[in-house]
Amino acid sequence: MTALVLLATVIVLFFMVYPAVYIFYGSFKAGGGMLGEMSGFTLANYRRIFASGFVLFTFNSVTICAVATAVSTFVSVCAAYVFSRFRFRGRSVLFGAVLLGQMFPWIMLVNPLFVAYAKLGLINSYAGMIFCYTAFTIPFSVYMLTGYLATVPRSLDEAATMDGASRFQIVWRIVFPIMLPGIVATATYAFLLCWTEYLFALAFLTRTEMKTLPLGLYQFFGDDRVDWGAVMAASAIATLPTLILFLPLQSRLTGGLAAGAVK
Amino acid sequence: MRKWTLALTAVVLGAAFTIGHAMAQPTVNLTFRFNDTEEKEMRAALDRFEKENPGIKVELQRIGWRDARDQFLREASVGQGPDVVHMAQVWVKEMGQAGALLPLNDLMKKAPLPNGFDDFVARELAQDKKGVIFGLPWTTDTWAMVYRTDVLKEAGITKLPDTWAELHDDSAQITKRTGKTGFGFPAGGSASGAIWFLANYYWWSNGKSMVVEKPDGTYGMNLTAADIAESMHYFKSFLTEGHNPTSNLSASDAHDPAILQALVSGKQGIGTMPPNTYKQVLETYAAANPGKPLPFVSGPFPKGSVTRTSNIGGRMLGININSKHPAEAWKLIQYLASEPIFTTYYTTQFPAQRSLLKKVDFGVELKGFAEQLGYARTWGPYSDGPAPIGAMWNATGRAFSAALSGQRSEKDAAEELVQTVSKLMKSRGQ
Amino acid sequence: MRGGRLFIALMLAPAFLILGLFYVYPTFQNLAISLTDLSLLRLKVGGNFIGLDNYREFVQSPEFGHLLFNTVIWLTALSVILRLVIGLGMALLLDSPVLKRLRMSTVAKLAILVPWATPPIVAVVIWRWMLDAQNGVVNGVLQSLGIVDHPVAFFADLRTVWPSIVTVIVWNTVPLVAISLLASLQSIPDELNEAAELDGATRWQQFRHITLPFLMPTITVLTLMSVFWTFNNFVYVWLATGAGPGTFTNVLATEIYIKAFVDFRMGYSSAVGMVMALVMAVFGVVYYRFIAPSELKDSL
Repeated sequence: MTALVLLATVIVLFFMVYPAVYIFYGSFKAGGGMLGEMSGFTLANYRRIFASGFVLFTFNSVTICAVATAVSTFVSVCAAYVFSRFRFRGRSVLFGAVLLGQMFPWIMLVNPLFVAYAKLGLINSYAGMIFCYTAFTIPFSVYMLTGYLATVPRSLDEAATMDGASRFQIVWRIVFPIMLPGIVATATYAFLLCWTEYLFALAFLTRTEMKTLPLGLYQFFGDDRVDWGAVMAASAIATLPTLILFLPLQSRLTGGLAAGAVK
Repeated sequence: MRKWTLALTAVVLGAAFTIGHAMAQPTVNLTFRFNDTEEKEMRAALDRFEKENPGIKVELQRIGWRDARDQFLREASVGQGPDVVHMAQVWVKEMGQAGALLPLNDLMKKAPLPNGFDDFVARELAQDKKGVIFGLPWTTDTWAMVYRTDVLKEAGITKLPDTWAELHDDSAQITKRTGKTGFGFPAGGSASGAIWFLANYYWWSNGKSMVVEKPDGTYGMNLTAADIAESMHYFKSFLTEGHNPTSNLSASDAHDPAILQALVSGKQGIGTMPPNTYKQVLETYAAANPGKPLPFVSGPFPKGSVTRTSNIGGRMLGININSKHPAEAWKLIQYLASEPIFTTYYTTQFPAQRSLLKKVDFGVELKGFAEQLGYARTWGPYSDGPAPIGAMWNATGRAFSAALSGQRSEKDAAEELVQTVSKLMKSRGQ
Repeated sequence: MRGGRLFIALMLAPAFLILGLFYVYPTFQNLAISLTDLSLLRLKVGGNFIGLDNYREFVQSPEFGHLLFNTVIWLTALSVILRLVIGLGMALLLDSPVLKRLRMSTVAKLAILVPWATPPIVAVVIWRWMLDAQNGVVNGVLQSLGIVDHPVAFFADLRTVWPSIVTVIVWNTVPLVAISLLASLQSIPDELNEAAELDGATRWQQFRHITLPFLMPTITVLTLMSVFWTFNNFVYVWLATGAGPGTFTNVLATEIYIKAFVDFRMGYSSAVGMVMALVMAVFGVVYYRFIAPSELKDSL
């Protein structure tokens, strides 16, 4: 049985990681490994992308995505808690309304939002992008967190109330820690959604020093030639921080009800 | 005491002078949106401009070509956008008429171009019927055929194909004798796919054209469904007979990596592409085979029943109608169109001025491109006419791709294309 | 629990404020534009009011059925189902005690995250390369195993183009499903499974009666969000095939892009977008009414 599970795991991980190996491999080759077999490893691709400001793009991406994720997760936990624990008039309608914006293909939203952002001076601003990405990720976060909260028994809440805890304390002291695996999963999704987002970043960030990682990546796709080496190096850079960022958080994904929490 | 007074006076005067100087020359901040990959070189050129013009600072921006047009139209409509913008030549007229570009006529009169506007190639694409000039042609290029001399030799081909029929036969011969790909052209139908160029070159070489200006000033099609079906049949034969691999049905760009790899590794004998792509092929080959001579040669397009031809491609520079510094923007444009830019910085493109083109040394491998430039024509009525080029481009690509992949019959695809284009010609950019 | 109106309002306010500010304006703008013949070249001037003409043209167009079929069946249904099934399998695998014993959990979780962190354009580029007829590794393997005699042009052959696109989408997005389900799995109290085992329940019975019900809320939400997101998705199809060959893989979102940014018809494309939103709204309501409620009611 152990052997079977191990074999299955290896096969699965292989399929997941193999295509990405191409990227790392290609990033050290001239021509990105796309235009023919080149002998020898080279760091020229990485040097090239850093010379064109990639550090700045990465910094912009990290800042915007991290802040947007934090805000969105916080706001979503609040909303999800209320949706999951309370019955109130208009609950169904509001719950459905959360999804309003997601019903449109994003390319439809770009033009009107661009006009609005231009009038408000939010073009080429961190604030504008953070607001945009927060708005993106709230619907999914709210729904996912509501789903997770369904598996956290209400007896916990009731026990805490009887112990005299205020509503806010219940949310943040009792429920939040148990929900942590769900919150980490949701925040991971939110972060990665922002990290690879391209359409809105393209429309709202036109100055080079404001650009995010995906825009930096797209710049290497020229009109009649593509700098494949740079593309591969840039993709490698795009993938790596995500893994590094979530290494410490992975342990949180193993949650479980605290033993004896329920009397 | 005296010393101190003198020193103080010197400091105060010095400060006043510096401040006064700075105030007399307020810095003009321009943004230049340049969409090619030669960012480093362009920045160096701009640094020199800033040195030669103290008081003007230029910020360099870049938007990929795929999104550049929509982005600029959006920005211009809300009063934003860069001062100087890099555009495809076929966008200039429609952008001008959409109210996004500043007419250049007055600026040209006040600060005229050194060799005059007539020196510029593809001028007619930069101005509307009333003579309002919206852009200055900047770079130009055209496609050509490229060949691997060693593959040709292996297949027993001694001279470059001169007609479309010869191209077809040579391509078949390569596959038959060597098993390699003959004319591997991108047959995909994406919105800005390469088959649009090949189809038009084929039609033009046989005296046909999708858009022509009639003597009475209106526009029509000099292309029937039968003509289109015949051209589809010609290109499809390469695929059905196996000398263009069917995987090229999913390749829409001349610089598709599969095609380039085939040329670099010698698995393909004939290709077609713009000069910048060709240079990448040569560079990649040189990097993979250091020290070896380059087994490549370029040549003009095959002849049809009337002529051999291709389109003069190119880019232009324009000024945003919302620009707060049009005079300085015009200065920048003139600087960018001057000779040193093409000889020192932006060396990967050819200048769109006849006087400068004469001085360009194409090099041995690119001789075919130089020759082809002599045969090339501009889009002309395609750009003047009522139908947006982008829409015709997309429709043609889709029709060809459907026919070449077998999704539709050649006859049906051709008829549908004629109908679509006729409809487009009736409405104006709606 | 006793409702405190103020508490509820305070907790909901931030989310709805942000959502309202961001989405309401574009929604009404799109509605307005869809009733005009606005062109991208006439953004300053505006378009003329033409009522429901755009909608009529869209619904009556010969492409309509083809677009709907592609978007609903090929793009959405196939990839959502595959994502759920494969994701569930992966989550179960990752949750297995075997991995914990071998201390491979962390490595496995990180490895699973890799495809999700890859930007879509890179995922498409890599898969197109791997599936390439001349140089791709997949064709190499298939040929050496004797499954095919000549290489398959995955993205050009009409029979294989959709499965190829779906493969890219699933590869790039299944980690989300897997990680979400894993989080749910790990919140199932071990005592439940242990008790069942003591009572003689088989693995399969444990899965069906303990695990699956616990996962239902998450699966429900994931399905809904997946459907919304995939139905509206534009990038994957566009980057992989450009909606080709011909218009074979054209979906609603790519049609919008072509109509808006190639043909410049903003009014028409807004109408298509509104139709898509309507379809999704109807689906959402139906889903919520008939499939979801039992799961969400459990939590109240």
